[in-house]
This record gives sequence, structure tokens and C-alpha cells, in this order.
Amino acid sequence: MPTTIDISSLVIDSLCDGPCEGDIAVAMFYCDFRDQQQQTATDIVGAILKQLVVRGKVVEQVQTAFQKAKDEGGGRGLRLPDMVRMLTRAIATLPRVFICIDALDECLPKYQLELLGSLKGILEELPSMRIFVTGRPQVETEISRCFATSVIVPISPKRNDIERYLEKKLDMDTELEAMSPALRADILRIIPERISEVCARESIVPVHE
Amino acid sequence: MDRPEYLHSINTGNVSSYNVTNSYNSTTNVSKVIADEYPEIMRWLSPLDPGRRHHDVRTERLDGVGNWLLETNEFREWKSGEGGADKGVLFCYGNPGVGKTYLR
Repeated sequence: MPTTIDISSLVIDSLCDGPCEGDIAVAMFYCDFRDQQQQTATDIVGAILKQLVVRGKVVEQVQTAFQKAKDEGGGRGLRLPDMVRMLTRAIATLPRVFICIDALDECLPKYQLELLGSLKGILEELPSMRIFVTGRPQVETEISRCFATSVIVPISPKRNDIERYLEKKLDMDTELEAMSPALRADILRIIPERISEVCARESIVPVHE
Repeated sequence: MDRPEYLHSINTGNVSSYNVTNSYNSTTNVSKVIADEYPEIMRWLSPLDPGRRHHDVRTERLDGVGNWLLETNEFREWKSGEGGADKGVLFCYGNPGVGKTYLR
């Protein structure tokens, strides 16, 4: 209700389905604290690259690297710098690339910095690429540590978002006998007010009408 | 349209439709050579599969929620790409589940 993950998914969809369609390539990654150990910077960059391999026309290069790793024994994965170089190459062949990272703070701190550092390097080389990141407010420290400038927008629960969410929940209510029009009206009035109060008091994020 | 079989493995979520096939035609020769190996190569690049998560999230997402962000100048300017590297990063912060926590 708008959680940052909803916002990420919305942004990704709006980029994929937007009116500028064809020349846009979107790659995404959802960080998840439950997978912290697996979600290394290298594997995240790899997961982003995976989504751009075909369009970015680096299929051959990736295949060559894969074959080399296999021949050298073990088929070890690429190291982060090599992965970043490959990703840069893929992005360079595409007109407009958007990389979306959700919940960066759910990554281990060292991987957050490695990931942001990698993206920074790519952006310096390819200034038209776009990076979208969501996370808890404190992630701003990491962002501004890596990027001299960035556009920052707080995600706040807008009143009509809250109402929309409540209406959906009420429509899906299975115990209809307990509901009445008056109760429904109360819920739709009181809860959005209450959330606004809580947010204001704890100054989590501002609530706008 | 000719859709190489392995493209299914690129993404299990619906997002795979971002025109992978359109731009792919130019490299069809390569595709034939590595079609068998492709899933293995993708796993080698990274074992992580972000498409599945996206699919789950978008299924749960409520229509219209958060649309205000897409209308902001900040978002539009960032998306346009006109600001170059200086406007290359859009950071949206919030608390995960903000609001939701208070409805329990």
C-alpha cells in the first residue's frame, strides 16, 4: 500500500509498457534480506546482465567467456569487474536502458556499495542510462556516497492510495454479515485519518492529500 | 513471430515481453548455435532469477496505487534521460510496508 516494492514494480511496468516501447530495455533486481548471502554484488550484476544479453547483442561474448571458464576447469563464474565490463558492453549497444533495484538496504552493506560502485562506473561511461533504486531512508547515505548527484523522491502513502487499498480489502471481505454500510464508511474515513496522524507524529514520511 | 525456444528461460515473469524477440532477429544465427547451451549459460552468469519475483509482486499490486510518482517532474525528468549522468539516478525512499503496518 504503496510499499517501496509496489513502487518498484509499478515503475518497471510503466517503463516496459510505456508509450516509448521498443527502444527501451529494462532490467530489474529485487533485493531480499532472506536471500542476503546469495545476493552478492557479482550475482546481482549477473542477474541484470542476464536480462540484457540478447537485446544487448553480447550473446557471443558471453558464450565465449562461458566456454573459456569451462575449458579452464570448473566453469567458475565471472569476477565482478568482468561482469561489469560485459554489462557495460551490453548497455552500450542499446538506445535506452533502465536498471531498477528494489530494496537496496536488504542487501548486505558490502554488496550495496559494490553494486552502487559498479553502476556508478557504468553511468560515467554511459551517461544516458538510467538507474532506479528504492530503499529505506537511510540508504540515501550510500547513494550520495557513490553518486555526486541524484534525484530523490520520498514515497508517502497518499490518501487515495490508502482508500483504494481499503476498498479492495473490503470488497474481498468474506464475512459480509459483520459489515454494514455505516461500518464501511467509518473504516474508509477513520483509517486514512489515523494513518496520516501516525505518519505525522512519527514523521515517517509526509502524507499529502 | 519466430520465437527461439530458449527465450522462455530468460524470464519466468511477464516482463520477458520487453521486445526481446524484436531485436533478436538480427542475431538468429547465433541463437541456433547456442540454443541448447543457453539455459546453462544463463545460470552460469547468475543463479538469481529476478523475473519470478517481479511476476509475484505485480500480480499482488493494486491498480492505480503509486501512480502519482509517474506524474512527478522528478520522475519525468529522470526518465527522459536529458539530464545526463547528473540525473542518472532516481532514488525513492520509504519504509517497506509503510502504512500497511498500521492497518493490522
